[in-house]
Amino acid sequence: MRITTTRFGCIDVEASDLIRFPSGMPGLEDCREWALLADASNDALGWLQSTTRGDVALAVVSPRRFVPEYQVRIPRSELSPLALADMRQAQVVVVVGQNGTGLTLNLKAPIVINLEARTGRQVVASGDLPLQYELFHERPSLKKSA
Amino acid sequence: MLVLSRQRDESIMIGDNIVVTIVDIRGDKVRLGINAPSEIPVHRQEVYEAIQRENLRASRLEPGDTQDIGTFANRNAARPGGDKPR
Repeated sequence: MRITTTRFGCIDVEASDLIRFPSGMPGLEDCREWALLADASNDALGWLQSTTRGDVALAVVSPRRFVPEYQVRIPRSELSPLALADMRQAQVVVVVGQNGTGLTLNLKAPIVINLEARTGRQVVASGDLPLQYELFHERPSLKKSA
Repeated sequence: MLVLSRQRDESIMIGDNIVVTIVDIRGDKVRLGINAPSEIPVHRQEVYEAIQRENLRASRLEPGDTQDIGTFANRNAARPGGDKPR
């Protein structure tokens, strides 16, 4: 399908690039279908582009590439809507944000994707995790959560 | 807002498939049990609203804002291809 986006212009996406979010996401409840795109110049980054709202896209990264000690504990109730029979079918990405200092990662509400079913959901991870984990070149370690 | 009084162990039904039960009352803290279909997310309001604000903020990022992100990647970190939840 062909979609028009504000960041990437008109792009063709395959069905295999599409991910359905049955519940949308908090703040983006009406965005139920997304395309996962690679960033042209950065292999560490992906973009979740809404297929229905061309102006809405989220930069996402694989969290352990930036925060190696990140271990997300997701309550079973949060995972069951994704019908994940096997954790090996799941991919976890986190959304990149920005605050006054620089780029941040949302470690509190990661996105879990069922790769086989092509469905996704933003979940709330247990523990005291930051919504805006600041990226520095000399990273502070993540505090161990309770 | 509909206001109802309930005692411990009493419940409220919302629609035909959501049940909220007073599990415990201790001082000024109430413990609530929520039975809802798994596709309906249930969260503390302040947590949900904070995530909403963060998503809306993040949805305004442009590729130009993220071009340096590779410099923050840890050379010893797990390779891309997915992080598995515990």
